[in-house]
Amino acid sequence: MSAYTISIVSIIGINVILAVSLNMISGFCGQISLGHGAFFGAGAYAAALVMVKTASVPLALLAALAAGSLLGIIVGFASLRVRSDFLAVTTIGVNFLFVGFVRKQTWLGGEMGISGIPPTGLGASGNMILNLAFACATIAFSLYLSRSWMGFAFRAVGEDEQAATTLGISAGAYKLAAFGIGTALAGLAGALYTFFTQFITVDAFDFIFSVMLMAMVVIGGIGSTWGVVAAAIGLTLLPEAIRFVNDYRLLVFGGMLVLVIRLAPGGLAALVYRLSVRVRKA
Amino acid sequence: MYYIDLAVTGISFGCMYAMMSVGLTLVYGLLRILHVAHASVFALGAYVTVLVANATGSIALGFVAALVVTPLFGMAIYRLLYEPLLNYRPDVPMIASVGLLVLMQDAFRIVFGEQGVTFHRNTFSFTTFDVAGVTISAVQIALVVAAAIVFLGLHLFTTRTRIGVGWRATVSRPKIAASFGIDPIKVRYLNFAIGSALAAVAGGLVALLNNLVDPGIGFVVSYKALAIIVLGGLGSVRGTLVASLVLGLVESYGTIFFGAWLDRDAIAFLALIILLMIRPQGFAGARTA
Amino acid sequence: MLIQSFRSSAFGTKTLLGLASLAMLGAVTTMPAHADIKIGFQVPLTGPAATDGKSAQIAGEMAVEDINAAGGVLGQKLQLITYDDQAKSDQAIFTANKLIGEDGVKLVVNGSYSASGRAAAPVFQKAGVVMIAAYGVHPDITRAGDYMFRLVHLGPPQGAATALYIGKTLGLKKISTITMDNDYGQATMDGFLEAAPKYGIEVLNKYSYSLKDRQFGSIVASVKRDNPDGIYATGYFFTGGPLVAQLRAAGITVPIVGSQAFDSEKFIEIAGPAAEGTYIIDSFDRDRKDEALQKFFNGFKQRAGYAPEGVAAITYSAVRLMADGIKRANSAEPDKVRDALASTKNFPLLEGNMNGFNSLHEMIMPIHVNEIKDGKFTPAGEISDLNAFAPPEKQ
Repeated sequence: MSAYTISIVSIIGINVILAVSLNMISGFCGQISLGHGAFFGAGAYAAALVMVKTASVPLALLAALAAGSLLGIIVGFASLRVRSDFLAVTTIGVNFLFVGFVRKQTWLGGEMGISGIPPTGLGASGNMILNLAFACATIAFSLYLSRSWMGFAFRAVGEDEQAATTLGISAGAYKLAAFGIGTALAGLAGALYTFFTQFITVDAFDFIFSVMLMAMVVIGGIGSTWGVVAAAIGLTLLPEAIRFVNDYRLLVFGGMLVLVIRLAPGGLAALVYRLSVRVRKA
Repeated sequence: MYYIDLAVTGISFGCMYAMMSVGLTLVYGLLRILHVAHASVFALGAYVTVLVANATGSIALGFVAALVVTPLFGMAIYRLLYEPLLNYRPDVPMIASVGLLVLMQDAFRIVFGEQGVTFHRNTFSFTTFDVAGVTISAVQIALVVAAAIVFLGLHLFTTRTRIGVGWRATVSRPKIAASFGIDPIKVRYLNFAIGSALAAVAGGLVALLNNLVDPGIGFVVSYKALAIIVLGGLGSVRGTLVASLVLGLVESYGTIFFGAWLDRDAIAFLALIILLMIRPQGFAGARTA
Repeated sequence: MLIQSFRSSAFGTKTLLGLASLAMLGAVTTMPAHADIKIGFQVPLTGPAATDGKSAQIAGEMAVEDINAAGGVLGQKLQLITYDDQAKSDQAIFTANKLIGEDGVKLVVNGSYSASGRAAAPVFQKAGVVMIAAYGVHPDITRAGDYMFRLVHLGPPQGAATALYIGKTLGLKKISTITMDNDYGQATMDGFLEAAPKYGIEVLNKYSYSLKDRQFGSIVASVKRDNPDGIYATGYFFTGGPLVAQLRAAGITVPIVGSQAFDSEKFIEIAGPAAEGTYIIDSFDRDRKDEALQKFFNGFKQRAGYAPEGVAAITYSAVRLMADGIKRANSAEPDKVRDALASTKNFPLLEGNMNGFNSLHEMIMPIHVNEIKDGKFTPAGEISDLNAFAPPEKQ
């Protein structure tokens, strides 16, 4: 397997985790988060700092999970206060605050970023396998969650918060749970990213990246695990396969986001579902 | 002198933010949609002003062209993007709006170049007046004058003319207004047209202020506009004006002190988040969530 | 599924020429049986650095065309394999792996920003691929190993040279500084602040702004209050232009000294009459009576629609230096090219003659200063005290 293929598959693994975790928050629980990059970044920086100090992979992973989750729960509290579109604005704000703050802190590398991060010792192939393993675990967890009671509660809150509360579902608690879980996974993806690049700068975690992640979720079909996975893989490979997409990335992604919302709000998953229904009827 | 200099800067900025943000608050007041893509209307206004001014040699023509093009663009966004999405929950059109903003920024980069565009012959930007030791530039004066005309005009329009009153009525009580025979669809188009035209004026003036329009010009102001409309009370034009001036002054005096801690954008967002946490419905509180 | 793409303006003709030259020189060279020597090329075609990326790309392509038109290197044509790295670390690693794995490239020119060079350097070093960083300023790029070379002055040496120029040559003592708060802006300013006391400079106040800022009202008012003898600002032309315009509009008349990235025609366009009298350190000397430079100047202007600035010039030179290294090594094998490059002496860059590389493969060359007079870049001296701004040596 060439080094190039290994690096592509590694990034796919990371993007899948990010997209599926965002889907848990925004798809299952209906809390629109346009700042997922901040949690990704929090995890990446936590892992980087741990690796530089101790070079311990398990510790770095734990720190990343914790950092992502902590920031996520704080943001989760915001969701208890404001309406959905203002929540989205708040998450954008969080993303900017994260980036703006890190930029100015020398202990976090500031503008120079954190470099010289020690390797995991697993080698490029090993890292790739680690990413794939975590990606599969995340997918499995997402599917399980979707069918579980918690998933049901998430959906209830996402669809109609008032109604859910009358059913005895504590909307606030479940929103926090959704944020906590989704952002912990984003943090995990951050650690894997740090292992991959061994050098991080805060630009990789900006608002534009968060928009790309949301595009993956919307295009895949908000709420559908498999749809989102397909979209994550597809949208990571698309710029590599088609030169045009690579050069005009924001145009294509922004355009796809607008078109999908406008014409097929259910995304890929909804289209596939409709097709399969038609096929079955035939 | 120093503090007056800062005040002049703050006020002229505030006027620019006000003209830019009015469109945003108007759309929210009417449709409850966060029209984030409004920033690209602003950017388009800036680009058109410069390009037409360069092509015709007249800055005034540039402004006129922008005033024609941007309302069309704004209304198109409503018709093609928001109208079909009105029945969904409010974050759906908002995400679409974000997608459009991102798309437009790249489109500007591709069509007009990464380097941005500048006025070819522009003495206006560099004309300054020395008033008792305080330097005021012609563009700053233009900003304040424009804002004054705009807001006075809006006030007169919404209180003295039939269309204006009808518009105001629709924003406050859409169903009752409709029962009086006012066409809500026409009002919506008017809403977008006016908001966009104002953004165009703001855009053109910023282009003069910087003598540079680059693809990212919309982004920078868009975040502040969001903070402003929340602070001013969503849907309230008067509130927006006040909030804009406040933000302009706070930024002018504040960046000297905060610059070491946080990015500029981050400061605006920090203010916004704090506001939302304290009072989710905004301050000069007109319309609520 | 994955389409391999390479930039080549006349693919058919090149293959034909390649085959022909093979027939002629097959016995003499130690080259593998490819018709072309591939040079990997990383440029930020999208993202915040797209302006410089486009300049770099055009300059790189021009260099390859000029080299090939003159017969190529060692009888073979050069082929540029270009990828967009978006000036981002992960993309830099990606495209680096692509170049090494898919395209089999052994020699690379990185025409991108620091984050890219910094991330790609270890990847290339490990694969034994030679990389010349045209204008990336992160110090760790050359520290990644001996296959790395840098063709631009590091930030801190530039800042140190600026201190010399401001303190000694211009004789200004009380300075207000304005820093752009990214790695380049900060590193350069740090170099200045460290060297400033040596030349009797007193820094009255330090201000900073972000890459995205175009409005500097508060800074301008504060500088006016400081009443300095001079102002030193780091930034890019799209921040420097508005900054200088606003400083002058506020009635500030003292000399303004800008950093290297101010160096662009666009700066003069944006700042208009306010640009007059601005000094730019490590600016590209466009007036040199050098045929290659004038040819490049006109050719670039024609292709790009705007006049070339430092980024374009240095990228062009980077490709030519690589070709020269191959020639001197008499081979395209990276080890040999590396050694040839390391022993470079008095190589003519478009900016002037570079003395050579130091032990860390940092470039050694005097720093040229331009002043804007009558809306044009005019030479305003050279900072040739190489010791005053020597780049770090290998540890």
